[in-house]
Amino acid sequence: MSIPQLIIREIFHRKLNFVLGALAMITAVALFVSFFTTSEASNRETIRLTRDMGFNLRIIPRETDMEAFWATGFSDYYMPEDYVLRFAGHEDFSYAHLTATLHKKITWRGRVVILTGIAPEIEPSGRPKSPMSQIIEPGTVTVGFEPANALSLKQGDRVDILGRSLMVARTLPETGSDEDIRIYTRLEDAQEILQLQGRINEIKALNCLCLISDEDDPLDILRRQLNQVLPEAKVIMNRTIAVARERQRLMFERYFALIMPLVLVVCGVWIGTLAMMNVKDRKQEIGVLRALGYGSGKIAGLFLGKAVLLGLAGAVIGFYAGTLITLKYGPGIFKVTAGSIEPIYSLLLWSLLIAPAFAALSTFIPAMMAITQDPARTLREE
Amino acid sequence: MITLDMVSKRYRTGSGDVAALEEVSMQVTEGEFVVVRGPSGSGKTTLLLITGGMLRVSSGSVLVNGEDVYRLPEGQRARFRADSIGFVFQMFHLIPYLNVLENVLLPAGAGNRDRDRTVALELLERFRLSERANHKPYELSAGESQRTAIARAMFSRPRLILADEPTGNLDPENAEEVIKYLAEYHREGGTVIVVTHGRVVDQYADRIMSLQNGRIVKEELR
Repeated sequence: MSIPQLIIREIFHRKLNFVLGALAMITAVALFVSFFTTSEASNRETIRLTRDMGFNLRIIPRETDMEAFWATGFSDYYMPEDYVLRFAGHEDFSYAHLTATLHKKITWRGRVVILTGIAPEIEPSGRPKSPMSQIIEPGTVTVGFEPANALSLKQGDRVDILGRSLMVARTLPETGSDEDIRIYTRLEDAQEILQLQGRINEIKALNCLCLISDEDDPLDILRRQLNQVLPEAKVIMNRTIAVARERQRLMFERYFALIMPLVLVVCGVWIGTLAMMNVKDRKQEIGVLRALGYGSGKIAGLFLGKAVLLGLAGAVIGFYAGTLITLKYGPGIFKVTAGSIEPIYSLLLWSLLIAPAFAALSTFIPAMMAITQDPARTLREE
Repeated sequence: MITLDMVSKRYRTGSGDVAALEEVSMQVTEGEFVVVRGPSGSGKTTLLLITGGMLRVSSGSVLVNGEDVYRLPEGQRARFRADSIGFVFQMFHLIPYLNVLENVLLPAGAGNRDRDRTVALELLERFRLSERANHKPYELSAGESQRTAIARAMFSRPRLILADEPTGNLDPENAEEVIKYLAEYHREGGTVIVVTHGRVVDQYADRIMSLQNGRIVKEELR
């Protein structure tokens, strides 16, 4: 009889022992898979929420009067345009969609509007991303609802703004925000119109909200970092629901960091205890096998091989159980990214590697006891 | 074939060492049928397990075919048991999750599976167990269980069979049958050592040794 044959026969004979061990393994794997899949969904949801809220970082000249800033919506002070490159070039920042902008209130054709120059976005990571802000071609203008409506402007019209002739690329629908009185141009066009070449008064960016711990205030961290790179600027952050979501994720991770080791210890002890009971139940069998010439390797193989099978069963069933639980309950929790919650099949591979090793490790001491037990003693005890 | 030279075995217990065997010396030649008789606790099973390389001696030596069994590494000793010795126990010790055929095949290594199966089926035929080949041990009578255990012991065609109270759990009719199988094996040239406290086996013995308090107190040639 080969060792695998003996293992399979014994499993079918002592089903309860195997089922209880597999249950422990399934629980551990399912919990791990469920957490990991949920965590990935949570991460995606945070990113999506952050993105949907628009730019959440605003870097403005240090001397900006904040009361005036909030009253007008932009800074009255200016800073060099190349600050955006200094910011983008710094490795410590993990921000996306960096955009240099210039805003100034002007009177145009008898109406007060905010002229906004927007530069193409810069991605510090170097990876191209779909832009968050509108793309404005040089020599064109996008006109907000109020002036477009009042002046009956339409796409293709040519307009003169403080002596600079531009073509209307788009007119915007009513938004119910100050966007309705804005006129957007390419940054260099706005700089030329305002005679502020090489100057900007705001850098917009999207913070990835990758908090390290829930004690960290990302704004404090950013301010410290920015102070080193751009001491002439200051940063304000639009704290969004995404921050709350990120904190929720961190809390989830922290609890999981406590629970998972506990689950692993309990499962390990559980599997080890079952293996110990199995060794005890099979004392005479071990004695007989010894008498029939089975060496230590074969005896250990009986128990460790069984543990590996237990781990494999736990990995497969646990993966699907954890994934099903996440797919069933995840969409209710993560509504924004519900559609993108999907099985992470690489976890099955990891489970297939780790669970058998974990089960074998938990069975190691009982297996050693099986090897070292005196077979003569059990045979003599009959 | 087998030489036990001044073999002693002491067990450590909570209340001190207990001597199971005291300076036992004996020789068993190839093809001999030896009965070791003695009351419970006289050291019979200890003597059998020591002879079979299952229980390390406290002092003395055990030579089988001139080789000191307990000087062999564990792996070689296991191989020696697999190739040379068949054990038969009072409680049969069949593996409960294997059927009769699989129990008999238990000593088979990773060799020729078809040949092993043929040998096992022949043994079942010989021991009137063919009808029981697919039965589990709990479905067998005591006599069938012991016959299965003997078939298993003989599977590897060992040169030596060590039987510990092989008739202890059998009615007289089955006991007689089991002893006859051992005697048959002996007639075919095998060496048999039976430890027992009964007398049913005496008629087949070449030699009877009496063990008392761990010492051989009497030896009788037949």
